[in-house]
Amino acid sequence: MERLTFDLAGALAVLFAFVMVAQKHPVKSVLSLVVSFFGLAVCYVMLSAPFIAVIQVIVYAGAILVLFLFVLMLLNVPQETREKDPRPIQRWLGSTAIIVFAVVFVGVLARSGADIPPHAPFDRTAAADIPALARRFFSDYLFAFEAVSVLLLAAVVGAFLLAQKEKKP
Amino acid sequence: MIGGVPLFDVLMVSAALFLAGLSGALLRRTAIAIFLAVEVMMNAANLALIGYGAALGTYEGQVLVFFVIAIAAAEAAVGLAVFVSLFRHTETIDVNKINLLKW
Amino acid sequence: MTFTDWAILALRVLVPVLAVLSFVPLITWVERRGAGFIQDRPGPNRVGPFGLIQPVADGLKLFFKEDVIVHDADRFLYILAPGIALFTAMVTFAVIPYGPELTVAGRSIRLVGADVSIGVLYVFAITSLSVYGIVLAGWASNNKFSLMGGIRSSAQIISYELAMTTAAAGVLLATGSFQLTDVVAMQHGTWLGFLPKWNAISQFLGFVIFFTATFAETNRTPFDLAEAEAELVAGYHTEYSSMKFAMFYMAEYANIIVSSALTTTLYLGGWSLPGFTPRGLVGVLFSIAVFLAKTMALVWVFVWVRWTVPRFRFDQLLRLGWKIALPAALVNLLWAALLARWKVV
Repeated sequence: MERLTFDLAGALAVLFAFVMVAQKHPVKSVLSLVVSFFGLAVCYVMLSAPFIAVIQVIVYAGAILVLFLFVLMLLNVPQETREKDPRPIQRWLGSTAIIVFAVVFVGVLARSGADIPPHAPFDRTAAADIPALARRFFSDYLFAFEAVSVLLLAAVVGAFLLAQKEKKP
Repeated sequence: MIGGVPLFDVLMVSAALFLAGLSGALLRRTAIAIFLAVEVMMNAANLALIGYGAALGTYEGQVLVFFVIAIAAAEAAVGLAVFVSLFRHTETIDVNKINLLKW
Repeated sequence: MTFTDWAILALRVLVPVLAVLSFVPLITWVERRGAGFIQDRPGPNRVGPFGLIQPVADGLKLFFKEDVIVHDADRFLYILAPGIALFTAMVTFAVIPYGPELTVAGRSIRLVGADVSIGVLYVFAITSLSVYGIVLAGWASNNKFSLMGGIRSSAQIISYELAMTTAAAGVLLATGSFQLTDVVAMQHGTWLGFLPKWNAISQFLGFVIFFTATFAETNRTPFDLAEAEAELVAGYHTEYSSMKFAMFYMAEYANIIVSSALTTTLYLGGWSLPGFTPRGLVGVLFSIAVFLAKTMALVWVFVWVRWTVPRFRFDQLLRLGWKIALPAALVNLLWAALLARWKVV
C-alpha cells in the first residue's frame, strides 16, 4: 500500500518534471513543477519524513516557486521561440550526453543499496517523532543551523542589491 | 525496505527526476528554464538522501535535506536577482545570445 | 477494514469539508445583517425570516449569471484558479480539532480530520499554496488591473505569513508539539482558579499579531486593498463572473471561518472550557458547541472590523507587516521562550 502510493506519487513527480522540460511557456513550466514538488512531498511522507515533506511544500512549492512566478509575471518573460539559426549540434550533443549518462547512472543505482545491513525499518510513527529530529538540529548540527541563517541573510541582502535598478548618472 | 517502500524504487524515481532535470538543463535555451531544471536535480538528490537516511534508520538524511532546501532557497533568490538584472540589460532570455564574455 | 472503519473514515473526511461549506452561507448572512446593524439599517429582511434565505437567493442569482471567459485568457488556468482558492480554504480545516474524543461502537475517535504529527505546519503549507489561486487568477485574466491586484494580494499574503507563523511559533514553543490536539490539551484548566489557561492570555501580543495577520491572509478589511471596489476595479477577481466568482466569494468566507477556527484552537483553548470535563455524548456535543461559539465570536470580530475600520494603503500595509508585525512577533517568541524557561506555562 505504501509502495503503491510512493510509486504513484513518484511517477507523478517525474511526469511533471518532464512536462516542465517540454513546456515552452515559462509560467506553465513553473506550475508543472509545483505539481511535481507536491508529488515529491507525498514521496517524503511515505519515506517517514513528514517534517521534510511539509517543509518542501512550504519552502519549495510555496515560496521559491512563487518567487519565480513573481519574477516571470512582473518582467513579462516571453515564450521560448524558434531560433533563427538553429545549431543542431547542441541538441545532438546534449541528447547523447544524457543518454550515456542515463545508462551509466541507472546501471549503478540499480545495484546500490544492496549492501546496507538490515536495520529495523524506520517505523513511520517513530519517525514522526519531530522533537527527536529537532534535537539533532540543536546539538550535533547547531553550527550548520546558525550558519545557514547567516547565509540566508547574505542571500537576501545580495538579491536585493543585485536586482536594484541602475541609477542613471 | 523503509516501511514498505523498497530502496530500489526510491533510487529509480530519484534517477528519473535527475535525468529530467539534466535534460532540461542541457536542452533548454531560456535562463529560467535552466534554473528550474537545476532545482529539479537538487530535488532528485534530496529524495535519494531521504531514502538512504530512512533505509539506514537515522535522521541524518532529513537533517541534510533540510539544509539543502534552505540553501536552495538562498540560491534561488540570488539566481533570480541575477536573472532580473541580466534581463534588464540584454532584453533577451536566450542563453545563446548572452555571449559578451566570448573571445 | 470493517464497514464501521470505513464509515468512521468517511465521516472524519466529510465532516470538516461539509462543515466549512455549510457555514459559508450562514457567515454571508451574518456579514450582511451585521453590516446593517453597524450602519443602523435593517440589512436583508425580505427573503425568509430575518433574511435567513438571502444566501440561497444570492447563490441562485450567481448561478444564473452569464459565465464569461475572457477572450485572451489562458483557459485552463483561468478555470483552475478559483478551484485552487476554494480547495485550499476547505482543506485547511482537516487538522483542526473540534471536539474531544468520542467513544462510538467501542472505538475512541478523535474529533479531528487528520491528527498528523505536523499539525500546524500543514496549515502553513496550505496557506502557501493558496497564494497560487490568487496569482493565477490575476495572471490568467489577461488584464493589467487583475495582474496588479493578484501580485499585490499575494505579496500581502506572503508578508503576513511570516508574522503569523512566528507568532504561532510562540504557541508551539509553549506546547512542545506541532499537533493541534496537544495545543488544545495544554490549554485545559485554569490559573489561580479563575483565569483559563489560554494562550491568548499568556501570549497576548502573539494573539493580537496572529489574529491581525489572519485579516491580511484572508484579504479582509483593513487589508483588502487588492479587492476593494474603489481601487483596482476588483483586483484579481475582476474578470470572473457567475460560479467562478461565487467560488472566490465562498473561498473568502471559508478562509474567514478556518482562520477563526485556527485562532480559537491556538489561542482560545479550542473546544475546552475551564472547569468542565466532557463526559459522554452530551459532553462531546457541548464541547463542539463551545468550539462553535468561540469561532463565531471571532467571525463576528471579522465582520465588525470590516464595517468599522478604514483600509490601509498598500505601502502602509507592507510596512506594518514587515517593520512592525514581524519584530513584534519575534519579541513575542522571546517572551514565550522566557515563559517556558521559567516553567510558568
